[in-house]
Amino acid sequence: MKMDEIRPTSGPAQHAAVAAAARTLRHEAPLLAGVLAALLALTWAFAGDSFALNILATAFLFGGVATAWNVIGGLGGQFSLGHSVFFALGAYMTANLVLHAGLSPWLALVPAAALAAGAAALVSWPVFRLRGPFFAIATLAMTEVMLSLSTYFDALTGGAQGLSIPFRRGFWNMIFVDRMSYALLMLGFLAVCLLAMIVVTRSRLGYRLRAVRDNEGAAQAAGIDVLRVKLAGMAISAALTGVGGALFLMQVRVVDPPALYSLFDVGVKVALLALIGGIGTTYGPMLGALLVIPLESWLRAELGGALPGMNLAALGLVLILTALFLRRGIVGALRGLRRPAILARRPRPAGEAAR
Amino acid sequence: MLTRRQFAAMAASAAALAAAGRARAAEPLKIGAVNPYSGGMALYGDEVTRCYELAAKQLNDAKGGLLGRKVEIVRGNATSAQEGIAAVEQLVGRDGVEGLIGTYASSISNAASEAALNYGKFYWETNALAAGLTERGLPNYARSGPSSEDFGKRSVEGVLDLAAKRLGKDAASMNVWLEHEDSAYGTSIADAQKRLLEEAGVTVGIGAHSYKAIDVTDSVLRAKSAAPDLWVLTGYVGDTNLLLRAARDQGFAPPAIMSVGVGDTKETLDALGAEFLEGVLLVSYPRADISEDYGPGSNAFLELYKAEFGRDPVAPQGMTAFVGAKMLFEAIEAAGSTDFEAVMAAAKAMDRPEGSYETGYGAKFSDQMQNTRAAPVIAQWQGGEVKAVYPTAAASAEVVNLPRA
Amino acid sequence: MTEILNILALGLLLGGIYALVSVGLNLIFGVIRVVNFAQGEFVMLGMYGALAAQVALGFDPYLGAVLILPALFALGCAVYWLILRPLQGEPMMQIFATFGLLMLIQNAVLAATGGAAFSVNSSLAVGSVALGPVQVGTGRLIVLIAATVVTGGLAWYLNATWHGKAIRAVAQDRAAAKLMGVNVQRVYTISFGIGAALAGLAGCLLAPLYSMTPQIGINFILPAFAVVVLGGLGSVAGAYLGGFIVGLTEAFSGYYLDPALKHAVLFVVFIVVLVVRPQGLFGHAGAEEVGLREDG
Repeated sequence: MKMDEIRPTSGPAQHAAVAAAARTLRHEAPLLAGVLAALLALTWAFAGDSFALNILATAFLFGGVATAWNVIGGLGGQFSLGHSVFFALGAYMTANLVLHAGLSPWLALVPAAALAAGAAALVSWPVFRLRGPFFAIATLAMTEVMLSLSTYFDALTGGAQGLSIPFRRGFWNMIFVDRMSYALLMLGFLAVCLLAMIVVTRSRLGYRLRAVRDNEGAAQAAGIDVLRVKLAGMAISAALTGVGGALFLMQVRVVDPPALYSLFDVGVKVALLALIGGIGTTYGPMLGALLVIPLESWLRAELGGALPGMNLAALGLVLILTALFLRRGIVGALRGLRRPAILARRPRPAGEAAR
Repeated sequence: MLTRRQFAAMAASAAALAAAGRARAAEPLKIGAVNPYSGGMALYGDEVTRCYELAAKQLNDAKGGLLGRKVEIVRGNATSAQEGIAAVEQLVGRDGVEGLIGTYASSISNAASEAALNYGKFYWETNALAAGLTERGLPNYARSGPSSEDFGKRSVEGVLDLAAKRLGKDAASMNVWLEHEDSAYGTSIADAQKRLLEEAGVTVGIGAHSYKAIDVTDSVLRAKSAAPDLWVLTGYVGDTNLLLRAARDQGFAPPAIMSVGVGDTKETLDALGAEFLEGVLLVSYPRADISEDYGPGSNAFLELYKAEFGRDPVAPQGMTAFVGAKMLFEAIEAAGSTDFEAVMAAAKAMDRPEGSYETGYGAKFSDQMQNTRAAPVIAQWQGGEVKAVYPTAAASAEVVNLPRA
Repeated sequence: MTEILNILALGLLLGGIYALVSVGLNLIFGVIRVVNFAQGEFVMLGMYGALAAQVALGFDPYLGAVLILPALFALGCAVYWLILRPLQGEPMMQIFATFGLLMLIQNAVLAATGGAAFSVNSSLAVGSVALGPVQVGTGRLIVLIAATVVTGGLAWYLNATWHGKAIRAVAQDRAAAKLMGVNVQRVYTISFGIGAALAGLAGCLLAPLYSMTPQIGINFILPAFAVVVLGGLGSVAGAYLGGFIVGLTEAFSGYYLDPALKHAVLFVVFIVVLVVRPQGLFGHAGAEEVGLREDG
């Protein structure tokens, strides 16, 4: 199966693909526009409330990264717990370009995405031979390796102390004083991720990813180049995650290995958000983020002080209950409510398909 | 085009105008305490804030508060830089604090203080160590406690004035092994130690380990093969205890051992026992049981702490936090307001000699707003107790067991 | 020469620690194929249990195992019954659920203890023993011996007793085992309980060696998976040897390369083995597929 057939590069096939994409967008555009308008209205409703805007900005950012994860995790069924690697690479690349080349962070987003996508291709090729939990464990191992290496080889990463971007206000510097600007920036990022998810879902790649997810053996038998499909999905997912990492850097302006490679804050978190919202659905991860991030913040403020750690214990309980009772996520549950007679397709990641 | 300072000043005066409408006399003066209250640093974050609350209580009881209003410490939980920003947003936006105090970890302090500047609030750092925090030159930031540089300097004094002398060696013939944990905390102190020791002509070997390591015998064997005169450990409690245990098992017995930052609490005593620890040097924050001459009021602090919390202080970081809060209160009182520029100016004008506070600190801030009269002390395990031995003014005992028997 | 012997000894002792910590995970993941990320937390609970036993009853941690084992067995059975039985055959959901359990247990202990580091001392694990030119910590030697005994015991149990054979039967082919009259759910539950109890035992024996904090469990879990996978899924002997592979890799890379890099080296080796030989170094080909079938 040639690359051409996944992403046609010439001739009538290409025209057909573009036409299909255009149809897709027209189809999906109303809903996407509606969702974005609603989020914009939500953001505007909190104008002046920096506390809420900051939470919204963070929710949009991680909603976007969770949506990016969903491309390979939900659509492709490859539950990567190592997306923090791409997140970190995006952040480090941007930091180096901004600090040492004086580049505008806007421009640095492109190399950040490219580096992350390149890393995805490089690293995934060996690791995609693994199924299910082994793949997940391998991605965790990858995270540990990168954490160690980032701490040790400090030339480009600032080592344990990390890197910080000095405050220099300005649109081109992507540094703002007011939280509204950050909220809008992250909303823009979320919009891009949602768009990408929609386009991929309806594209040939999307169908192939789902075929691989549902039954890898059958997909292979049907002539799909499974490895290529997984790689393409991972590269897209990684590129967007890398951009997310770059935006994270610009929001917080202080990054170090423990923050970037953190399992609870990034690696497992984005998968968690997708799970709670609805793995494999377009808007699920975004919903998950809009629910969990504010909840987390509230828990941290209310419970975190009195008894240390109770906020994380509560989050752990949410994770357990979601895995047990809300496997389809919120979107999946809502769909089930709407059409109870039709069993909503439960995404079954590779590795547990019947043999 | 507004500079951040101008924006902050506008925000501050807008807030002041809004506040002027309220019945100010009844309103408590709220100060936000940004610290990790969950996760791995929860113990220390909580301890540090308890000491802020203690200082506030003492002030409220003695003088009725600050500027005629009771001081109230409001907690903002932050275990990472991103959470630090959120905590500041919450404290300023929701809880209406007039300034911020913190912070057990440097990366949190870094991000939170920048967020604080956006609102024109002061950020008073009592504990975080990274040198870069004051070197940034942030206009709302001051550090009342020692920095990693101060820990480095004190370590070097321990090497040269204590160990070298007693081993009968001069700096050029001293061989020191620096073992540090590899996160920002250990690395920043070890960098300072290495630079200062090499400037003094000492031979330095350096090793890093992860504080989460299951085993550190390899680090011990590497240090052993360097045959150092002094083994300096900078880490957290878990890995420092593990290193000491491994050294004991491996028969690694350098003439002197020095632990920086930790190793001076019951946690280490229980793990290693008084006999092994005898003579181990400790570079750490001044403890509550320091001599009254050096740290006036330290006994009173200990009594106050025990009365309030029903237990001994958990870690010496607490008293430094207590003193830091006191310094902040003095600065606010002198400034007559909580406006960050006034508070920083008042702090800059402070000139209290060493030995003014419970920790033995003085107050004199450099141009970068680093307190130049705050330094850790060197103590030593003696008979199962930690006794201060250096500087001489702080000493409650003579140095023992050096070189180690 | 002494140097290499030292590192070798270090690697073997460390291997003993890893083997002991992983023997429970080997039963749970290696044999009955349940992905349990909370296994490290069971070890941590074992350590804190030993502390509680010493503080409340004055027990030596090795004696405290007598209380810890049944307690963790019960906890394991409960965890399986409530959380993992509904997720049978869904490894990814098991990962999520057990991650949640990890967060819950770790932070519950943090809330209960405030986060201070505690030590437990044993009258047996004192000092060190000289084996030739090499110094060996007594506590670690005990752990190595215990790992060997426990592994041998588990191998015997799986091969010689009816219950053990039932476990293996269920792992091989659930439907067939059911037809043979095996109560599959009970076997899974008991296996998980045993796995948790073994983790608790590891905790008791390791307690004299470490200063325990609520976060210590998370340091064990990834190396434990590395051990189980490297050694070979489904193979008790393989997991035992896997412990030594991990221990020796860490020891040699830590000493000869850099202690700050040994973790990275271990996981690179792990990923390479996983990719090149997914059944592990001592497993049978296809072993990694066993148990992940979704059937009745």
